[in-house]
Amino acid sequence: MREVIKLGLILLLITSVAAFVLGITNDITQGVINARLEAENIKSIEALLPEADEFIMVEGVEGDIIVEVYEGFANGNVVGYTIKTTPNGYNGTVEVLVGVTKAGEIVGVKIGQNTETPGLGTKIADAAYINQYIGKDITQEFVVTKDNPTEDQQIQAVTSATVSSNAVVSGVNSAGSLFNDKLKNR
Amino acid sequence: MVERLTVSSSPHIRSENTTQKIMLDVVIALLPATIAAIFFFRSNAAILIALSIATALATELIIQKIRRHPVTINDFSAVITGLLLALNIPASAPWWIPVIGSAFAIGIVKQLFGGIGQNFMNPALAARIFLTLSFTGPMTGWIKPGADAVTGATPLSFVKGATALPANAPSLFDIGFGNIAGSMGETSAILLALGGLYLIYRGVISITIPGIFIGTVAIITFIYGQFDLQFMLYHVLSGGLFIGAIYMATDYASSPITKKGRIIFALGCGIITAMIRIFGAYNEGVGFAILLMNVAAPLIERFTSPRVFGEVNKQNA
Amino acid sequence: MKLGRIFSRGLVFDNPVFVQLLGMCPTLAVTNSAFNGLGMGLATTAVLLGSNFVISLIKGFIPSKIRIPAFIVVIATFVTVVGMLMNAYLPALYEALGIFIPLIVVNCLILARAEAFASKSSPFKSIVDGVGMGLGFTIALVILGIVREITGAGTVFGAAILGESFIPARVMAMPPGAFIALGLLLALFNRITSKELNEL
Repeated sequence: MREVIKLGLILLLITSVAAFVLGITNDITQGVINARLEAENIKSIEALLPEADEFIMVEGVEGDIIVEVYEGFANGNVVGYTIKTTPNGYNGTVEVLVGVTKAGEIVGVKIGQNTETPGLGTKIADAAYINQYIGKDITQEFVVTKDNPTEDQQIQAVTSATVSSNAVVSGVNSAGSLFNDKLKNR
Repeated sequence: MVERLTVSSSPHIRSENTTQKIMLDVVIALLPATIAAIFFFRSNAAILIALSIATALATELIIQKIRRHPVTINDFSAVITGLLLALNIPASAPWWIPVIGSAFAIGIVKQLFGGIGQNFMNPALAARIFLTLSFTGPMTGWIKPGADAVTGATPLSFVKGATALPANAPSLFDIGFGNIAGSMGETSAILLALGGLYLIYRGVISITIPGIFIGTVAIITFIYGQFDLQFMLYHVLSGGLFIGAIYMATDYASSPITKKGRIIFALGCGIITAMIRIFGAYNEGVGFAILLMNVAAPLIERFTSPRVFGEVNKQNA
Repeated sequence: MKLGRIFSRGLVFDNPVFVQLLGMCPTLAVTNSAFNGLGMGLATTAVLLGSNFVISLIKGFIPSKIRIPAFIVVIATFVTVVGMLMNAYLPALYEALGIFIPLIVVNCLILARAEAFASKSSPFKSIVDGVGMGLGFTIALVILGIVREITGAGTVFGAAILGESFIPARVMAMPPGAFIALGLLLALFNRITSKELNEL
């Protein structure tokens, strides 16, 4: 019995020292890490909505696959929104960021973290695919087609990566319905 | 005194079959499909096939020389690997595709594991997957037959994600004879089946594996296509199903040897192929299906090996 | 044992990857580029150095009955510290290595050195052993990373060296490529070292 207590106390001592060391390190690094993460986030949404110079997070709109929404301001006036969605791709979720003006025009689409098949699914991040969305009205329902698109809401799928292409479309579409339902009339 | 009795250990009766004879039969069986490939896809096909076979033979020779093993390039097994691989790549592929593929098939998959009979996977198929994963572009640049290389969708891409046949799909007749876009040798299902019948007639392969493999895919796609016969035939005749089921799944070294084992093996191949084609992201699943079942073959054998005569059943003992 | 011997043993003759086949999980998983291999190797070296030193210092204090939990606590502490520092000051590397940083804790190389060497040797010798083994691990990971990066992407440390016309075999940067490349390197290493042994 006395041995158990002794062993326990020794382990307690070791773990306490470890906890102390970890606490100090955490204290030193946490500020740096948070500052960096915030800067990265702002940088990526700035690229989506170049007009705006200030961003404020919109609260209470997250749901389903909507992760984060920022309202962009220029000279104190609302100019648009950036919407981050995480639809399901071929291999886990795909981060789809959409930048949209107050009038509902798509001005930027960016593919963030994803684990799609390299060389096939990852082509959804290429300009050739992404640029199909630019300038279009976000309130319409986009559909994927395998042929050359003939209508405005048709998006040509990346060859051999229909699932990944569908993921982006569903991300943009849910951003669109969010815009329609909640953001448009704010 | 003349010695009349020779005393030796078994075997006393030897089969006429040698590795060389069996392999030669397989080459003969593949000839119609090869000729059709050259006919449909012209000179580039001939060059790719020649390069593939030449590299396979050269790799085998070099590795056996380095390892100071007896050189066995005369047994036609390397020729088959080279030929099968060539038939698995599109006719538009650049020259280095079959060269890298054959070198990988013979060097890594076959010789590093001990040469003929020791490979745990079908070398040509493993090389195809290696190439597809590495060089996705050139390996999916399927062209329509003819001198002018027009890229075309493969029949499987027409039925991908569909439960019925779209109107613009090519005719079943063209698919049967291989007058469609696809890898060089997998397009002409009827000629491949002809070679298969020859192999079965010669006793080189039994109908068990190809029959059950193709049958399983047929039944699953028949049910999935809501009993549309044309949809089912489309799945069965297109893609790599015939070349895979007849020439690759029957590979002696990498498929089970027991009768029951072969049935399970072929069933597994068929189910996985159909599942990948219907639900997976890729259009074609034959290659992955066979490789997966290749890896499972030792396990299947363990559970299906017949009991040794006189052995006591452990559960009753 | 002489210090030089302790050091060179980890570096070559008892190389953790090529001879002992320890720590295969990070070896196979993160070596898709030379930079990642180097980062993982150095992170592991830092942890190994720290844990070897601390464990040899407190070896008289730890009863043998609880030595394994004690070692793991020490190792896990160092891993977490290294992870936090990386996240703060080397974010690119931190993101590339991802889940494999916390998994350094279960790298059997580190526990093996704690158990087999540091718990029986002086602090100074343990440091030498940690650096030797760590650098041996790093060198192996960098070699594997270079091979896979050249064949799988046509670059070394991100710099294109093989020109535009080279088309990389992408599979070499994927998991199967790790096994193929490691197998071939092991064969090569065996060939070289067995020749040297024969000449001795």
